[in-house]
Parts: sequence; C-alpha cells; structure tokens
Amino acid sequence: MNENKKRKLEKYQRRQRRLRRKAQIRMSETIAIIFIFFVLILFGVIFYYKYSQISNREKQEELLANRAMDAALQSLFLPEVICTKGEAEHEDNCFDIMKLNQAEEVFSKNLNYYFNLFSYAKITVTEVYPGNLTWTIYDKQKVKKVENGTERIWENKENTYYVIALRNDSKIEGQKKYNLGYLEVEVYS
Amino acid sequence: MKSKSAQIQVTFNWIYIMIAGAMILLFFIGIIVKEKAASEERLSAEVVDIMESIFTGASLSEKTKNFIDTSGLVDYTLYFDCDAGVSEFGLSGYSYYVSDSVNPLFAPLELSSTRLVLWSLPYRLPFKVIDFLFVTSANTKYFLVGNDVSFINEFNNATETDNSMLKINWEQLFDLNDLDPGGNFQVRIVDLDGTNVDVGKPLPEKLLAMGDKKVTAVSFGKLGVNTVDYYQKEGSVWKKLNDNPIRILSIDEERDAAKYGAIFSGSPESYQCNMMKAFKKLDKLIAVYGGEKMSENIGGKLAEIVEFYESNPETSLTTECLGYLTTYDENVYTSLRSMQNQIKTCLVFQGEQGKCFDLITHADTLRKANRILSETGDCISLY
Repeated sequence: MNENKKRKLEKYQRRQRRLRRKAQIRMSETIAIIFIFFVLILFGVIFYYKYSQISNREKQEELLANRAMDAALQSLFLPEVICTKGEAEHEDNCFDIMKLNQAEEVFSKNLNYYFNLFSYAKITVTEVYPGNLTWTIYDKQKVKKVENGTERIWENKENTYYVIALRNDSKIEGQKKYNLGYLEVEVYS
Repeated sequence: MKSKSAQIQVTFNWIYIMIAGAMILLFFIGIIVKEKAASEERLSAEVVDIMESIFTGASLSEKTKNFIDTSGLVDYTLYFDCDAGVSEFGLSGYSYYVSDSVNPLFAPLELSSTRLVLWSLPYRLPFKVIDFLFVTSANTKYFLVGNDVSFINEFNNATETDNSMLKINWEQLFDLNDLDPGGNFQVRIVDLDGTNVDVGKPLPEKLLAMGDKKVTAVSFGKLGVNTVDYYQKEGSVWKKLNDNPIRILSIDEERDAAKYGAIFSGSPESYQCNMMKAFKKLDKLIAVYGGEKMSENIGGKLAEIVEFYESNPETSLTTECLGYLTTYDENVYTSLRSMQNQIKTCLVFQGEQGKCFDLITHADTLRKANRILSETGDCISLY
C-alpha cells in the first residue's frame, strides 16, 4: 500500500515538475517577447527623436536663411539711410553718407524699436572706395551675463552682402559724389 | 471541474486581449488625432510665415502690385487685426499668428479667397516715411460712389493693369441703389463725397441678404475736408463705427497712401493703429534728418549740411542755401523742429486727432523749403 502511495506521489511530483518547467519556459518566452517589444519601441523612439532633431535643425536653418533675406531687404530699403531725391523715387542700392552718420546714433537710442524689425542681427556698411569707413548701424546679439561682462550665446549666423553706392552730398564741385561700399547683414539664432 | 476552469480561463484571456487591444488601439488613435492637429497647426504656421515673407517683399517694392495664389487656402479664413500699435494676421481657428509693430498693413478684417492682391505705396510727410502695404482679395469688391471724378480717374489709373491677376475688384457707381454684390465674399462702399452713406440711411436692397460684417463703407468728408468715417451694415441700415471723423494726415495730392490706407482698412481702429506705426517711424526719421532734440540744437543730417556750408564759404550760393536751411521765413530747420514737437505730442496722445493735425502744415512748409533748395543751384537738399 505504502509502495503504491509512494509511486503515486512520485508520479504527482514528476507531473508537477514538468508543469513548472513548462510554466517557466512560457514565462521566459513572455519576458523575451516583452523585452523585444520594448527594444523595438526604444528603437522607434530613438529614431523619431533623431529624425525630429535633424528636421528641427533644418527648419531652424531655413528660418534663419529667410530671416537673413528679410533683414537684408529691409536694410536696403530703410528710409533712414537710402538716397532720396526730393519727392521722386529713391535711388536703388544707394545709401546717403550724411544719413548714415546719424543713423548709428538714432538706431542705438531706439534699439527696441529696430529690434522688432531686425531681431538679433548686425548691420554694417563698409566703404571700400575711395575711403575705408565703417558704419555699424544696428548691432544686437544674443548674450548672457557672465562674471566679467557678457558672453555671446548665438549658435548659428547667416551673412548676406550687397554692393551699394554711398552718396556723399558734402562734396564741392569737381569731386566725386558717389563712393563704393557694401552692406553686410548678419543674423543670429 | 478542470473543464470549467479552462472555460473561465479562455473567456478571461479573450476579455484581457479585448481590453489590451482596445487600449492599444485607443493609444494609436490618440496619437493620430494629436499628430493631425499638430500637423495642421504646423501647416498654418508655415503658410503664415511664407505670407509674411511675401508681404515683406511686396511692401518694399515701391508702387508695385503683386498677387498670391491662395487657391489651396480657399477653405480657410485669413484674419488681420491691429491693436495698440501691433498688427497681426493669421488663419482663423489656429493659434499661430505673425505680429508686426513696424510695417503698416492695411487690409479687410477677414479674407477668404483664391487670390490675394498686394499693393504698395510710399507714405510721404514730406519725405518718404515708410511703404504702406494694402492687402485685398479677388472677391472683395469696392464700389466707388460720389462726385469726386478726379479721384475716380486717379483710382482707375492707379489700379489699371494688363495682368488680370493684379486687378483690384472695383466698380464705379452713379447710384448706390444700382449696387449688385454678385458672388463676392464682402463689399466695401467708398463714398467719395460723404453724401451717400450715413447713419440710419437704408442700404441698397441687394445688400440686405449679406452678413452684417461683410458689408462695410468708408465715407470721406465733403470735398476739401480730408476726413473719413467707417460704417458697417446693421440689419437694413448703416451703423457708424467711429465716434469722430478721422483726419487723413497726408500732403500728397496724388496716390495719397493715407487715403488709400483708409479705403483698404477693415476698421477705424485698424486704420489708426497702422497710421501710428507710420508716425513712430516718422519720429525716428526726423531724428536722422534734424537730430534727437531740435529744440536745443540742430543735429542730424541738417547739422552736417549747415556745417558744410559754414566751412566752405566759397561754395556758390552759400548764403542762399543757408538761408533756406536755417534763417529765411520758410526754412527747413524751423519746419522740421515744429514737426518734431508735433510728432512727440502726437505719439504721447496715441495719435489723438487734434494732436497730430498740425503735422501736415509743418510738413507742407518743409516740402516748399526743400523744393526751393533743390531748385536753387547747387544747394544740398534735406531729402
């Protein structure tokens, strides 16, 4: 009788072990599947993150290029510096030196007003012939305060150049009235 | 016993699968809905940004007309607003918009069309202050009525073009009751002599079916009085939108940018707000021409010109030039200084009517003095 009981017990225990092993295998399978699932999700997230990072950078560059073009156009047609001829249309691609001399001060005193037009940018006019004067009519860069003053924090910049004539009305007869120079517009992001 | 347990287990498994499946499905549906809304918002931002670039280019090309094909945006409404010196435009129903506190843009309050027409005119007082940009659409119709034949001819010449895409949709009316709005999105009546549109006056019958906001009018003061009033349809009569007549501050006899601005502006607030932008710019320009504080001393370009004549007495006609610049009855310095005082007051009082009006008197004097300088031999003119 005892022998019989013992056999039954052994049989029961064997079956239990088999079931446990089967359950363990299933559990391992489930864990593996969940692991693979999460790895795939992680890959997806990383891929999406990288993709949006690159596309954001490209978008930023595109926006910066657009802003550079807009700022350059706005500068070329600024009534504060363009050459006018009474009520007639202004002279294209020409800046008035007398106005430029004043614009530097007016722009710096009204930086907030012009910030709405140019945002973070630097606009300089450089004479290349016959002299070599430079006028920085607008300069506003992204900066942060550090111990010894300020530090520039812009990441990208885009430069645009235009060749311009510089009209000098204060020339006596016989002297050349138009000089040659270029407009440089730097925008920052 | 075993079979019952298995049955419960199978049922439970299916319920579990259904719930998990539904949750996963909901999760992805949520992502799709959010992504759709975000992409529409992005698209609206892109559209508005592109338009801003086009507007910038169009406003700088003096006296030119451009058009934008907006056939892809026919289901959307573009709105324009200006408040406290800052204008904004964007697509109705979307959060993204572009604001601008420098460049004046005169447009109806709403546009929904397959084509926008852009027109730029310089605003002079008396020197060029800024370019005004007028934005309208192919389906916004302007009806010019009144006896100001010279303005109608000028409007016709100014808007005439061989390119049908650049045509401004307008018609001259001899009797307001002949008005037919056709299938246009909105109509604007331009009463040139202030006799056709007034509070309580009945509207032309064919306008009664249109929405109140789609029928507006501007009425200029009787000939010789440079003012404008804004009206809007209210049921079957006209309702005035501004309390007092708005002065049109300009000295141009032809292609008067300030007058055209009033025609294309959607509301009196928007018109005055955009004019304030021009006045702010004028303040900066006066500083360039005459210095920051002309009441104390001559500065700016004017000081350089005066200095040039004083240091070069041999230059021909020096005395004459200096006279028109600083000492004669009508001289550049006095009129520019008066303009500076006036514009400061005007800006402090936010463009309040009486505070800006004298600007045009001083601007006119400055124009005369500058003309004389240009015509007097080799004198250097201020502008």
